Parts: sequence; structure tokens; C-alpha cells
Amino acid sequence: MSLLPWLVAAWLIGVGVAGLATSRNIVHMVGCLSVCQSATYVLLLGIGFRAHAGPPIFYDHPPGTPAVDPVTQALVLTDIVVGAAVSALLLVIALQVFKRRHTLDPRHLRPLRPDA
Amino acid sequence: MSEGARRVLLALALAVLAVAAWRVAGALPMFGSATPYGQAVNALIPDARGVSNMVAAVNFDVRGIDTVGEEAMLVAAIVGAVVLLRGSRGEGTTDRAVRVPGRALEPRADATALVCRIGAVVTLVFGLYMALHGTVTPGGGFQGGAVVASGLLLVYLGDGYPPWRRLVPGPLFGVVEAGGALAFVAAALWPLAHGDAALANRLRPGEWKDLYSGGLMVVSNLAVAAAVAGSFALLLLEVMEETREVQSGEDDAAEEPPQ
Amino acid sequence: MTPLVAAMLLLTAIAGTLVVLAREPLGQVFALAANGLVLALLFAVLQAPDVALSEIAVGAAILPLLFLVALAAIAVERAKK
Repeated sequence: MSLLPWLVAAWLIGVGVAGLATSRNIVHMVGCLSVCQSATYVLLLGIGFRAHAGPPIFYDHPPGTPAVDPVTQALVLTDIVVGAAVSALLLVIALQVFKRRHTLDPRHLRPLRPDA
Repeated sequence: MSEGARRVLLALALAVLAVAAWRVAGALPMFGSATPYGQAVNALIPDARGVSNMVAAVNFDVRGIDTVGEEAMLVAAIVGAVVLLRGSRGEGTTDRAVRVPGRALEPRADATALVCRIGAVVTLVFGLYMALHGTVTPGGGFQGGAVVASGLLLVYLGDGYPPWRRLVPGPLFGVVEAGGALAFVAAALWPLAHGDAALANRLRPGEWKDLYSGGLMVVSNLAVAAAVAGSFALLLLEVMEETREVQSGEDDAAEEPPQ
Repeated sequence: MTPLVAAMLLLTAIAGTLVVLAREPLGQVFALAANGLVLALLFAVLQAPDVALSEIAVGAAILPLLFLVALAAIAVERAKK
């Protein structure tokens, strides 16, 4: 039972990789990549979680009350925002690919082939 | 690679991943047990820095240099996306919506516009509140900036493209984004000029639970808020520009509800 | 582990799977927004309000909208041809 968070993280990254490998649309691939990324959130927050503890913000509770790990939370926090920016960059690249090659199917893309 | 070989390779990779994940899961600390670094931060930082939000303290003080790097990644990704878009389109902008032939344009209901306008104001204020109180209560530059950008989206959803374009000044976002990133780097470099470590907290720590608490963290927090809000707003603006008609002679009333 | 945490973890696994299984990009956008919402709830349950706020703005609003606008731009390109 206590293995559940790690197994969920492994499942998310596995299912995301399977989606990436079988995808027929590069926009769909960007979505699969964000599923892979959510695996890192689950893993990091799972490691930082502490049973019977509050959030690491000592506004209502005085310092010294049990709180979960703020270090992993800080990692996830910046990860989400930067990951969204990278996903946006990938979407824009997908749009450029469609403008040049008129297809979104990765099977029809050969990087080194001159413009068909 | 053929389709069959691709699937075999995927199955092999997933099998390796499953075994590795099972072994790692067994070796990780028990779910729910305390971790040493986090507990050290929780024990030391409230007294050392005078801030009540530990996550903000980790982001802007304990691992501040790391956050400068993440901020640079954010700005680089957004600049890359904008350069790609403008490279093929040019810098010109227009507020005319393109019309896909044969698709009916449903005018927005008044209720939609009203709810979106109220929601936009509330969201913008909440985003600013979150960004300003980042060192005290849950929130901070990253979240506040993202919430401000999503508030701007509501303006677009409620009123359509032309009013959004008139209301939202494009060049300003570039300045806000770059200015925020520059201010964060300047805050990191400033202590170096005084012979301290980068991002060393040289300012007065401020009052516990006060709006001004955490010294230099307040500066870097606001700089990140500006950079994140500017980044996402600029990105949305530029990507939406792709769906707009560039040629003249099109009817620009397409998005306006009939009066 | 409380039942709430376990339930949210299972829900996260299901939501992530649905994002991958939604093969049509337009349908995937909505799966992605739902996934963002589920992740935000999970983070709230795991005592991470900061992260939940970040995820709800980015994962449930900004990223799905970027997907929608990119798909609209692709549709515009397709119509031009």
C-alpha cells in the first residue's frame, strides 16, 4: 500500500512513453509528454509528504508544528511553470512543421529530407 | 523503423522500466516519513529569514541561484516560441479574426461577457494578491504571474479578439517579461558587488507575517511575478496572432456580437 | 496513507491514462484540462497549496488554451491550402 505513490509515478511515465511511441499526431505527443512530466510531480511530492503534518507555511500554525517537505514542493512549483513554457515552445514548433510539411503525422517527417 | 520493430522496442523499454520502477519503489523511503533537508528548512528558516512561507524561502533564498536558472529557461523558451512565430509572420499585428469558410459564428451571450468581465477582475486582483504576499501565505511570483495571465484570458473569452487586442498592449509584455528577468538577475548579482555570495540576503529581514518580510526575497519574488505574467501574456498574444487574418479587406466584425 | 490520498493517486493515474488514450488532439485538450484539475486536487491533498495554485492556473487554464489556439492556427493553415 505504501508503494502506491511510486507505482502511480511509474505508471504515468510508462503510459506517457507508450503514448509518445505510438502517437500519430505531434500535437498529441506534446500532451503525452506533459503526462510524463506529471509523473515527476507525483514522485517528488510523494517523497516530500509527511503523515499527520500540515503545509510548510507557518501562518496559522506556529513554527515547529510538523510540516511536509518544502524543498520538493519548491522543485515542483518551478517545474510546472517552466514545463508549460517548454510545452508552448513545442506546440509552436509543431505549428511550424505543419506550415512547412503540411502534415502532423510523425511517420511522414524525415528530418534530413529536402522539402517535399 | 518499421511499425512492428517500433512496438517490440517499446515493449522492451516498458519491461525494463517496470523492473527498474519496482526496485526503486522498494528502496525509496516509506511514504509519509519525514525527509531530512525539508525538516531542516522548516526548523531553521523561520528564525533565520523571518518568512512564514517555506516554499518561497526555498525558491528565492535557499536554492535561489537554481531559480535564476529556471527563470532563464522560461524566458529562453518563450523568446524561442515568439521568434519562431514572428520569423514566419513578421512583427506586424492586426485585430481581424480569420474566418474559416462555412463555419457559423455564434455571438456570445451577454451573460458570458458579464461573467467573464467580473471573473477577469477578480482573477487579476487575486493574482496580484498572491504575488505580493508570496513570502507570507501560499503563493508567490510563479503562481501569481500565472494567475494574472489566466485572468487576461478571461477578457479574451468574454469579449472576443478585437476588444482584447485593444485592451492588452503587446509591446508592454515584452518589457515586463524582460524587465522582470533582468531585475531577478540584478538582485542575484548585487550582493557580489559588496563581496557577498550571489543572492545573499543583504536587506532588512522585515516583520514576521508582514507584507515586507524576507528582505531580498521580496524583490526577487516580484521580479519573477513580472517575468512569468509577461511571458505567458506575450506567448498567448503571439500564438493567437497566428489565427488572425493578415490580408486587408476582411470583415473585422466577425467576432463582435450584433448590437 | 489515508484513503483520500490513495483515491487521489488512483484518480491521477486514470486521468493521465485518459490524456494518452484521447487520440484526437481536440478531445485531448479537455482530458488535459481535467488532468490538470485532478493534479491540483492531489497536490492540495498532499499539503502543497503553493503547488496546487500553480498547477490550477497553468495546467487547467493556460496550457489547454495554448493547445486550443495552436489547433486553431493549424485549422487556419489547413483552410488556406
